[in-house]
Amino acid sequence: MTGEILCIENLSKSFGGVTAVRDCTFSVRQGMVLGLIGPNGAGKSTVVDLVSGFGRPDAGQITFEGRQITGKRPDTIARLGLIRTFQTPREWRQLTVLQNVLVARCAYSSEALLRTIVRGRRIRRDELADQAMAMDILDRYQLSALRDVKAGDLSGGQKRLLEFARIAAADPRLVILDEPMGGVNPVLGTRIGEAVRQFVDDGHTVIVVEHNLPFIERICDEVVVMDSGEVIAQGPFDGLRDNPRVVDAYLGMDQSHE
Amino acid sequence: MMYWISVVTESGIFAILALGLDMVWGWAGDFDLAFYGYLALGSYMTMVLTIGKPIPPTEYILGLTLPYPLAIAVADVLVVALAAIIGAVALRNLREIYFAVTTLGAVSALYLVVEVYTPLFDGYNGLFGLINPGQSALNLTYNGYRQVFMVIVLVILAVTYLVVQRLSKSPFGRMLRAVREDERAAAAYGRGIFFAKYRAYLFGAALAGLAGGLFAAYISAFNPSAWTPQELLVIYAAILVGGRGNPRGVIVGVFVVYIGFIELTRYLPSPASRPEFAPALRQVLIGLLIILMLRFRPAGIFPEHTGAGRVGRAPAPDPLEQSGVGASS
Repeated sequence: MTGEILCIENLSKSFGGVTAVRDCTFSVRQGMVLGLIGPNGAGKSTVVDLVSGFGRPDAGQITFEGRQITGKRPDTIARLGLIRTFQTPREWRQLTVLQNVLVARCAYSSEALLRTIVRGRRIRRDELADQAMAMDILDRYQLSALRDVKAGDLSGGQKRLLEFARIAAADPRLVILDEPMGGVNPVLGTRIGEAVRQFVDDGHTVIVVEHNLPFIERICDEVVVMDSGEVIAQGPFDGLRDNPRVVDAYLGMDQSHE
Repeated sequence: MMYWISVVTESGIFAILALGLDMVWGWAGDFDLAFYGYLALGSYMTMVLTIGKPIPPTEYILGLTLPYPLAIAVADVLVVALAAIIGAVALRNLREIYFAVTTLGAVSALYLVVEVYTPLFDGYNGLFGLINPGQSALNLTYNGYRQVFMVIVLVILAVTYLVVQRLSKSPFGRMLRAVREDERAAAAYGRGIFFAKYRAYLFGAALAGLAGGLFAAYISAFNPSAWTPQELLVIYAAILVGGRGNPRGVIVGVFVVYIGFIELTRYLPSPASRPEFAPALRQVLIGLLIILMLRFRPAGIFPEHTGAGRVGRAPAPDPLEQSGVGASS
């Protein structure tokens, strides 16, 4: 099918006797923002892990841009252009803000050990171009003044922004954001919403796993709802309000989000 | 004078070893206890490749008479091969204490085999006879040779330092620190964790093998008592004092610990009736040094630079905090 960047078919995964994901099927179109929602324990994070290679599915297939990525290693999948984040920001603490963005830039050929020894000058020249690019990105996320600060010393909100700066530097085809709004204040929340829309404008496709339903409603083109490891609905957010399974499984449990 | 030439030569050799170990521990974050084994194998192999056929009842393998530099090169290839096997097992999934215990097991096995299986390196007696290789070719006196050898060691140390420093400040060094700081995030950004650590491990082992080859000529004899586990802990202490992850700091740390603490404590008064007093006090002083450094300057004399990407401008005040954006969670 054309236009589909990611296809997940009949994906299943159990941990011991617990089935985390069961026969899960959905797909993501190029250039959209897809929300992945569901109550705690619905299997959202497991799906993210399986898609990004941090877990091996028991059954099912994952196709990314027409390529089979089922069971491949995380670094292999990342190199194909699929970058994921984690529920808590995982910055490289002892590295500076600028270095974090430069590592995320993924200039793999500059990291060859022997080439560094014999062609060091060439690598330094490439590095200067990468630094200029990284500074532009830091400007965009209001982090340029903090570029020489160790990432571990940033505030929680700054770490969230750094995560977005790292993704922008990696320039992926598809990005999966795992709870980007966790522990984020409303001002920064607006900023993150803008950042997600910016990704789409720049040609990326985005999957957002999130509990914050107003946020999902605001930024997502389509939503996949999971419950007990199964996909129970997929479609535009508005249509889901009337879906009794969704209301029962999720929205009904916590009206305070509405 | 000859005494200080000897001390500087020895410190220089250990500095080369420490630069290699720091890549593994400082940059990649793996506490490796097998590392002194690579120096030992480098020493043994350099010996059996240069000192000629064994005279019974002495027994050891090979017994060739290769030129000394060629012997070091061949020995180093074997050291890297051993590191390739140990690293392939230990670095794949094991981290922290599990990695440390696995490498300790590996080096203990190596130690036992060398000590018990005499046809390999003559067991507990060890090897000897690599005395001033090339002295007659260079037409030097014994003392003149020791001075030249010190200069050679310091030149090799300088070249090693320049190479390691270039790696440390490169994207390679930065990537390795990212792997150390958060493996999962590094994998999510396309880094093959095992391969990244493995490359640093093999490079570090190559430096240890080189140090071993030089050490063989420095002490001209090598047996199991020369590579007991305590030796490695002194190297770790030196890295800690100088600055883990900073090549310049590592070299300074080695010289501080070896010259400042091991050699200068010889001048401590030792009661004639208790000759073991000074060596024991030396151990205590190194322990005290580690504790004081960890308490007052945990990053070492020269703290780490985490690879390429420092431009050197002082950070301005935080605009996010002022606008209220950063004050979240």
